[in-house]
Parts: sequence; structure tokens; C-alpha cells
Amino acid sequence: MRREVAIISYAQTPYEADANASREMQVLKVAREALQAAGLKQEDRYTVVTANNDYLDGRTISNMRLVEPAGAWMKNESKAEMDGAYAALYGLWRILSGDHDVALIIGESQASVYARWLPGIMMFDPTFDRQRWLLNEASAAALQARAYMNAFGISGEQVAGVAAKNLDNASLNPLAHNKLAGADAAKVLGSRMLYDPLTEMMMAPYCDGACAMVIAAGELAEKAERPVWIRGVGFAHDSYLTERTLKEMNSLRLAAEKAYAMAGISDPSSQVDLAEVHENFAHEELMAYEALGFCGKGEGGAFFDSGVTRRDGKLPVNVSGGATGANVVCATGLARIIEAAMQIRGDAEGRQVAGVKTAVATGQTGPCAQESVVFVLGGE
Amino acid sequence: MAEMEYKKETRSVEGSWPMEHWSWKFESIALISKTREAFKEKKLLGLKCPGCGLVYFPPKPYCRCMSEPDEWVEVKQQGTITTYTFTGAWAYEGIKEEEGPAGEPLIIVGVNFDGSDTLTVCTLGEAKPEEVFVGMRVQLKWPENIEGRLDDIAHVVPLRE
Amino acid sequence: MAHIDVAVTGVGYSKHVSKRRDVNIAELVWEAVSNCYEDAGLKPKDIDAVVTGNMPAFEGVNMPELWGAGHWGAYHKPLIRITTGGTTGGSVAHAAYYAVASGLYDTVLAIAFEKQSDGNSTMGLNTVALADAAAQFQQGVDPGFLASFGGGAVGIAVYQAASYMKRSGCTTHHLDKVSALCRNNAALNPWSHLKQPGLTPEDVAKTVLMQYPIRFGHVCPATDGACAMILTTHEKALKLQNKPAYILSCASCSDEAALMGISGSGTTNMDPCAQEHCKLAAKWAYELAGIKDPRREIDVAEPYAPFAHQMLMFYERLLLCEEGEAPAILDSGSMNLDGELPVCPSGGVISTNAIGASAMERITEVALQIMGKAGERQVKKEVHKGVAHGWGGAVNLNVVAVLSDTPRRS
Repeated sequence: MRREVAIISYAQTPYEADANASREMQVLKVAREALQAAGLKQEDRYTVVTANNDYLDGRTISNMRLVEPAGAWMKNESKAEMDGAYAALYGLWRILSGDHDVALIIGESQASVYARWLPGIMMFDPTFDRQRWLLNEASAAALQARAYMNAFGISGEQVAGVAAKNLDNASLNPLAHNKLAGADAAKVLGSRMLYDPLTEMMMAPYCDGACAMVIAAGELAEKAERPVWIRGVGFAHDSYLTERTLKEMNSLRLAAEKAYAMAGISDPSSQVDLAEVHENFAHEELMAYEALGFCGKGEGGAFFDSGVTRRDGKLPVNVSGGATGANVVCATGLARIIEAAMQIRGDAEGRQVAGVKTAVATGQTGPCAQESVVFVLGGE
Repeated sequence: MAEMEYKKETRSVEGSWPMEHWSWKFESIALISKTREAFKEKKLLGLKCPGCGLVYFPPKPYCRCMSEPDEWVEVKQQGTITTYTFTGAWAYEGIKEEEGPAGEPLIIVGVNFDGSDTLTVCTLGEAKPEEVFVGMRVQLKWPENIEGRLDDIAHVVPLRE
Repeated sequence: MAHIDVAVTGVGYSKHVSKRRDVNIAELVWEAVSNCYEDAGLKPKDIDAVVTGNMPAFEGVNMPELWGAGHWGAYHKPLIRITTGGTTGGSVAHAAYYAVASGLYDTVLAIAFEKQSDGNSTMGLNTVALADAAAQFQQGVDPGFLASFGGGAVGIAVYQAASYMKRSGCTTHHLDKVSALCRNNAALNPWSHLKQPGLTPEDVAKTVLMQYPIRFGHVCPATDGACAMILTTHEKALKLQNKPAYILSCASCSDEAALMGISGSGTTNMDPCAQEHCKLAAKWAYELAGIKDPRREIDVAEPYAPFAHQMLMFYERLLLCEEGEAPAILDSGSMNLDGELPVCPSGGVISTNAIGASAMERITEVALQIMGKAGERQVKKEVHKGVAHGWGGAVNLNVVAVLSDTPRRS
């Protein structure tokens, strides 16, 4: 990268099923907290990139009403209509160009405001799939889970185990919304069937919340306390779900290859200390292990069984609870970046993993992880 | 690049964007309801920002300076027109090329009430369209029955000093 | 740190008409994209990243690139979706500029489109205000009153026009002249939607009054259309063509939404024609571009003007003259194709408005003028630098890009 860019501050709301606050107030709180922690005021020079979606917010031009809460009044502001990790990516470009030095990144949505089933359906092909009402985010994920499990002999227990791990991890995260200490695979498999083979506890339930992060280059980054450096970044788009194999997460693999090359990572399983993965459904985390190169193709289940990705393992994944713990569409991936940065900084109170120097965070958009973005972060 | 061949006929596929499925949250409604209650005493209550001193009327929970307005202040019932229009064929029905202006034009004005720093949209009465101008001084005209609705402050008339 | 110069090396449009019932969204976009590849002499394999966007409410589909982008050459490539309402096309182009300027991607395809006939544009615009309107109904606002003051950007434009006329001395005759100028220019542009060769101000004045001061002839049509452009580095561009246009700088600036605060609160954006944030965006863009005196240095302007008064108003807000001078400059003939600072030689948004694409088309049109590839609509004077603008939201978002025939570093 042409410039060293660091994450210098962040803030998250608690994640809740039905927050007693508007999205504007939630955004105001995290934006203000992140700016303050970075030593910035509204009148200082910075650019703003938000991530939100007109269908989730129920308003055309959903960023239009976020100008003041997002600290974007009289600022150079834009919006990525994808996961918040893409807003971070765009903010990074703005800084790397040299035209900007500081960017405030925000992701938000409120599941209590939109009909949970609707925006997902609106993203399918309107001339065919939407007419038949067969596909929604969960049924599409179930098709993917089945394709993956069949191809590589992954068991329902392994998928359920991932959900149980993340629910248990979330119990240590005070901001998480969906948590269950001591959860196990049997409990997950015994929950209500969503779409076979996925049960309700394997799904990351949508909730309310917002998060914000300040990234910077130059003077502000250099004098920041415990900056977390962005070492590599990659993103990729895959074909529509009916036009590709569902048993591999190619968008994530391609994104990771690019990010690793930039960060000088050739052996991720030994060079990465911790990962925060955006998994909308439990099986996606197993697929992510493979796409991120933590294990070989089809080995996700066995890799999980080895215990490496538990919070006391060699490469803990989703110590925060991941998306299972809190899934705010348009913020989930940004929250993964923030959680990974917290681990590097030593800020992850109650769930801190010792000695995290290099961490990976991912975000995704579209059904069955159609689009993925990967950040590689490093400490001093 | 090879020319794609398109079919001459297509089929339309119907669908809808079911708008009823959102349920938005606003702190502002709770704030505005206090202001609406005060209408019954013929008072206009605005909210002042502790950060930059701007007064929002009707009140707003956050300010562009990122502070949260928290001090109730009374706003005057006289104000200045900051922008205006009046209705033609467009009103109510969207664009209809064939129709001429529909009935008596409604004069719609943006009013900045004295003591506030914001605009409120009102209708202007007791004036003809050609008489309205930016900078015109106006006075709030209360309805006969004040019910504590936002509509109670929807009407202004020229200020006669 | 050296700036990476960003060049426009290809431009493509789809056919722009009011209803494209012969193609779907993906096919409509492909027309623009394939024309763009052809113009650049590149193939999808040469593209390193894709930026796309439209205004989602208009077609009633959420993120159409999920099923469309594979057909535009985005297969397994990095892709990002940027949407900011009326400024979307500009925001998409700006993101593509930053992608190249970041040093991470050399050649980036930017795509912006709108297929308004797939949806209900009035509803699309009304959804801008729906959440706040619903809150106002609950608090005792007559729905008829709210409807009468207009939905979304369209409704606010009339207030803006009235205010602007008061501030600047612009008359309704000036509005008529703007429409006539643009629609005559559009007649020279094969990609424009509404072509009215020979249209006179007198003709425009006879159209129906919609809401004072705007007549039917002062308003843009609703268009189906797509626009694509390929941006690349200075070095790569020179291998592809002799005379690329450079995007010297991009800037956006946002104000509080005009006319209505959240759920009926007051808004501090009191005069929709003030557009202080547009002036700020222009100032930032000129500063980055090293332009000290835009009035002398800018040769052509493409302000985003779906309503007649906006061509004059934004001419001023883009700092091309003092406030209130634009009507007289229009009268002087300076804004004509053969004038000193031609404005909207493409015919502008008032002639063609595929909303999501419009702000990008301002940039591509300035690029074509600089490259000397604008055909019949090529302005008479030599073009070295131009400014391209986009406007949207509740008249609270502005984007500005400055283009040139020479890179920033020289």
C-alpha cells in the first residue's frame, strides 16, 4: 500500500433485537464516540463513508437523513450500499489516494424497523426467482449448506458445533445480542428447523445497532495510541447463486488471496493469530476456514473438530460470537473489523486472546456470500 | 465485441414494493408531542442546542454539530418567509400534462419563526400568489380549535405591523 | 506522496428513451458497458475492479448487480456498490477515481443506470420522504397538504426555483431560455432522450404551469438509460489513446435535508437555493485540481440541472460567476455551444434523466468534450478543463469533479 493506514478508534452500540433508539440516535452515539476517541471534533477535516441500504432503512437515499448524526454535515460524504466492511474499504481508498487523511466509517441498520423477510427477497432476480417465492436468504443458505455438506461429508453436528461455539463466545461479549453460555451441538440441532439442514440456532438473527470506526494516515495515525494497521485488503464478486457452485466460497477465497499477497502472508494458518468471520449461517464459517486458507478444501469440518478455532485454540475464530452473536445487516462485517482490531489492541475485555499480532476480518453481501471483502490487520 | 441478439418482444413481470412493512422509530416524535401540547396554550416551544446554540422548531433530537439539543425555549409567532411556491396542475396527482392549474392555487411557504434557526413549511393565507416574496414577514394564524396537531401551526398570514 | 493520475479511457451509453421494454436491467446496462469496452479498446479481462450503482427504489429491486454484474464483465472481480440518490452516478465515478488513485487497482469500470420504466418513479421519489411523512400524519398533518407540497426532490425544486429567482433576478423568461438552450443541444446528442430542435423560449412558456414557477417545459423527462466509463492510470491510458481526459479531483459535500427535518422537525437548511455545500464541494475540488480561478480556467460546465433554474443556480454555486450573475451571462450567449463557457452542451439532465446515471453522464460528457469526441455537440472553443456536477437527496447532497486534458502533476 502507498500509505500506512491505521484504525485509530471505534465504537459500537449494544446489539439488540429492538433498540429503544432510532437509527439516527444510534449512529450519532457511535460516530461521536469514535470521533472523540480519535481526538477529532465535528469541525475537523475528515471524510465520511456510511454503509446502509434503502430497503432496510425503508427510505430512498437512506444516507440523506444520516448527514447530521453521522458527523457528515458539510463533509465529503458517500455511501456503500453493502456491508460496512465495504465502507471501510472505500474509506481506505480515499485515504490511499492522498486526497484525504482521515475517514469516519459507519455501518447501521435496524431489524426492528424492516420486515426481516423482505429486503432479502428483493435482491433476487425479479423476473424469475422472485416470482416463485422459493428463495429467501435462509432457503438459499440451506441450499448452499446442503451442497457443501454433501460434497465434503460435513456433518450436521459439525455445523451445529460452530453455532454452539459462537453462541458460547458471545456470552462473553457484553455487546452481543444472541448468546448462550455452554451451548452445544445437540442443543443447536434440537432448535426449530428453519430450512433443512439449517436450524434456527444456526442462523445469525438480524438485530438493531450501529458501529463506527476512524481510520487515518499521516500524523494522526503516527501519534495514535496503539494504532492497528491495515496490512492487506481484497474483495471479490461471485456469480448469482444459481450460476455458480455453492459448495465453495469463491468470493472469499479470491478476496483473501489478494489481501494476503498485500500483507505478505503465505501460510495463513500459521501467520494469522485470530479471525473474525462474517457468517450469516453456521456452515459459512466452515466454508470460510477453507476459503481463507486455514485448512484445505473440504477440510473445514475436521479443522473445526480439532478445536483450533475455539477461543483457547491456536487460531480462534469469532471470539466475539461473530455474526451469530449480533447481525446488523450493513454493520456486521465492519463489526468484525472492529472486533479484530480490539483483539490486536488488547481492548477485548473478558474475551481477550493473548498475543494477537495479526488478525483477519471478513464482510459479505448478497445471498450465499456472493460478495466478500477481507481485511488483514496488524499491530505495531 | 459480438453484437448481442435481442428478442423484439418481451413480457412484463408484475411485482410490488410493499411499503407497509416498515415501522420507523423516532425520538423526535416524543419531543414534538411536547411542542404540540404547548400549542394549546398558544406557545411555540423549540429546543436549543447546548453545543452551538441553534434553536430547532419543531424540536429535533440531534444537531448538525453532533450535540443533543436539550433546552426548551419559546419561539416567536412571527417569522420570515425563506422560500415559497404555489400549486398548479402538479398538486396531489403527480404530473399530468393535459390538465391546467387545479382550482385556487395554494401558497406554500417556508417560514423561519423568530427565535429559531430552522424552517417550517406552512400555507400562506390572506395574500395572492403575486404578493408573496422571500423575506416577507408573516404571523402565525391559529385555527379556531387548537387540538395539539402539527397542522395547528400550518397556517400563516402577512404580518401587519 | 505522488498523486496517481486518473484518466478516462472509455465512455459508453445505452440508448436513452422513456421506456425500454425490449431489454431488462442487465441487458440495458450491457449496452452501455459493451459500448464502453469498444470505445476503450479493452475487454472484461483487462478490468481490475468494478464500481456500480443506481437508485434502488425506482426499479423495486435491491442490489440488481447481484444477478446483473456477471453479465457486465464483473465475474470474479472486485465489485462495490455505491448509491447516494440523485448523485449516485457521480458517487460511483468518484469511487472509481479513488480506486485508481489508491494505487490498488489500475483499470476500473464504473457503471451507473436507471430503468425508470420498470418501477413507479413518483413512488420512488416519494419514498425519499415516506418515513417522515408517515410520522407527520401520526402527529396531525393533513395528507392532502403534504401531497400538495410535493414529493422528494421534485417538490423541493419549486421552492428552490422561487428562492433563486428572488435572489438572482432570474425571470421565468430565463427559465424558458434555459430549456430551449438545453433541448436544442440535446438534438445534437445521439444519446439524449428529449430532442427538441428549434424549440424556442416562447414554446416553453406555453407549457402548463405545474407548480410556480416551474412549467412542464422546465422539467426533465423520466428516462431508461445506462452509462459506463473506464478509468485507468496515466501510464496505461497513454498506451490506449493519444488524448485521454483526466479526472483531476473529486469532492462531495452534504448539508442537512431541506424543507423537512426528521419526522416534521425544523431543518436548518432553510433556503434550498443557498447550496452552501455545493460551493464548498466546488472549492475543495478546485483546490485539489490546482485551479485558482475557475471562471478563467474552466472551459465547459455540466451542472446537474433537471429543472431549468438549476442550470443557472449551479453555474453560480460552482463558483463560475458571482451570485446573481448567471441570468445575465445566459442572456449574453456565453453559455451556448459557441459561447465562452458553454453549459450543458450535452443537453443536460433536463433533456435526459436516467436518475442513477445522470451524475456520471455529466462527467463522461465533460470527458468527451476534452477528448474532442463529442461529435455534433462538441463546443466551438478549445476545451482544456471542465467541471461536472451532481445533485440530489433533499437538495442536500452535491458532488463535483474537475476534468482536464493534462494530468494533475504537470
